[in-house]
Amino acid sequence: MLIASHLEKIRRLQNLRGRLQPLEDFELWFWSTMTAGTHAVNAALHDAGVTPQESAFPSQPGVYMVADGAGGYAPALRAAGDVLHVGRPPIAGPVPPDVRDMMDAMEIIESYRDPCVRDGLAPTAEIVDRCDAAYRRCMRALEQRLPEAAA
Amino acid sequence: MNSAKHHEIARNIERSLAKCRPEDVEMRIEAAMLAGTHWLNAALHDIGANPPDKDVMHTYMLTINDFRRLSLPDPQPLAMLAEIEDIRPVYVRGDAPGGRQAADRACSLLDRLRAVALQAAAGR
Repeated sequence: MLIASHLEKIRRLQNLRGRLQPLEDFELWFWSTMTAGTHAVNAALHDAGVTPQESAFPSQPGVYMVADGAGGYAPALRAAGDVLHVGRPPIAGPVPPDVRDMMDAMEIIESYRDPCVRDGLAPTAEIVDRCDAAYRRCMRALEQRLPEAAA
Repeated sequence: MNSAKHHEIARNIERSLAKCRPEDVEMRIEAAMLAGTHWLNAALHDIGANPPDKDVMHTYMLTINDFRRLSLPDPQPLAMLAEIEDIRPVYVRGDAPGGRQAADRACSLLDRLRAVALQAAAGR
């Protein structure tokens, strides 16, 4: 996706994130955190020239939905583009240290995805704090790379 | 996970979904996917199609064998979740126009999945 569209989605997700209670609304608070963070990583990877920014939306690793010219979208093979989650697919080639740090922060968040949202592990204040700290670390790095992300 | 726990988590996600505004397209769709998956799993447990220690994560991650087997009692619930899942690439990870309508559609499918699960629980 284009960087501007990633940033627009981050703004919308952050707005919602601010309206949710981290523990009471854990599943959606967590999912908006993870989704916004993934958009941040994708925007940073585009800005660094590691992955292309284009209107191609990931369906599964290696498969992207692209405009079909008739007003709809159709799946197409792509070697690289937006990641669905950090590590899915892995990024081929060198990644700048600041973007690598964003990805490392997202790995912390991702480690709670299935246990807490699908498998019934009860969220705790400590889990919320760890996810929130990782998210803020990711967003700080994005704002340093792309100052317009702070707007 | 047993069906009662699936119900509990799905209800919690739906309470959070109620805090979303129409423009929160991405999380309305994701909430429908997450809660819908819990409702589907609860229904599959309650009709005896899957044991509590076997949950569906995404329909597209099922083997073809399992997809066919779980579709046997009623193909509609799996098809409903698959439709929600298919909305995600273009409107959650993509910026295609029409996101609000897509989110409305996802939420209407969630309503139907909940109804299926509650009916399955009642017939247990």
